[in-house]
Amino acid sequence: MALMPKRVKHRKEQRGRVKGNATRGNTVAFGDWGLQTLDTGHVKGTTIEACRVAATQYVRGEGKLYIRIFPNKPMTARPLETRMGTGKGEPDHWVAVVKPGKILFELAGVSEDAARDCFNRVAHKLPVRTRLVGRLPSV
Amino acid sequence: MSTEVQLSVDLRSARGSKQNRRLRDQGFVPGNIYGHMDEPQAIMVKAEAIAPHVKAGVKVYDVTLDGKTSKTLLRELQFDALGIELTHFDLLRVDPTERVTLHVPVILKGIAPGSAGVLEQPLHSLHIDCLAYQIPDSIPVRINMLEIGQAIHVRDLELPEGMHAHHPPEAIVVHVVPVRSGDSAPADVAAGAQPEVVGKKTEDASKDK
Repeated sequence: MALMPKRVKHRKEQRGRVKGNATRGNTVAFGDWGLQTLDTGHVKGTTIEACRVAATQYVRGEGKLYIRIFPNKPMTARPLETRMGTGKGEPDHWVAVVKPGKILFELAGVSEDAARDCFNRVAHKLPVRTRLVGRLPSV
Repeated sequence: MSTEVQLSVDLRSARGSKQNRRLRDQGFVPGNIYGHMDEPQAIMVKAEAIAPHVKAGVKVYDVTLDGKTSKTLLRELQFDALGIELTHFDLLRVDPTERVTLHVPVILKGIAPGSAGVLEQPLHSLHIDCLAYQIPDSIPVRINMLEIGQAIHVRDLELPEGMHAHHPPEAIVVHVVPVRSGDSAPADVAAGAQPEVVGKKTEDASKDK
């Protein structure tokens, strides 16, 4: 099943606007390779789960996958063929808000070629443009 | 001994974010050089002269400024939001015989035989102190003998003489852990289930009152 929070303060949230670049979670921290988003967007919990399945099936126990995003924002939807009005719709799914630079997934224990192939499969499921990144040099 | 690179830099009169943005547009990277009781100096260098070396992990630079050459150590780096372009750097003047502290990447050598396990590396770089002329490019760690459940700790590393790691001896550098089935799969949640709302009273509780 898709990721979602266990407890929330409010069932529904306003959509908001997403501006700027990611200033946190924008470097590879746990693994050797990361999948970085180049766009702003909402990634659904079901999409994250699909990406996880695709990545774990590719690495097949040879590497470790880290998921760096969590869908903590509820999105509401109105039932089909209903008239406008009567208030906000009911919670439908959960999304993770991502900004350019955010590392979505990380892989450890695999070569660059394997990471590129794996993240290529993952990227096909995502609603944002992505690129493969390595670790930044340490000083 | 670490790789050393000759770097010719120019003094920078431009100060402030607006001026530095213009410098970057012209293909320069602004930086600072300081240390050894000398005045800090604002410098700039062509991006193509420094960026490839920084990305290759070079830490020691022989900097030529106004005809004077000094040995420096890369102390601070700043990248843009996507981590693509180098936007700023700091260089620290060092004497080859003085001790310096810095992070050095750990490079794994070989293939661990534990086939049914996953290699995890909690420490990707070591915080060490050593003499400036002793700075290594990397610290190689052999993992040929690493079976499932085994680990290489900081105390197991064979560091060159005079080099000291700023980590607890029992800290794990690399280990092989067994594969867990359904690794990191989220808990099964019934379809249509919603999270609990903090502070919301249940219907039964309100009826009791």
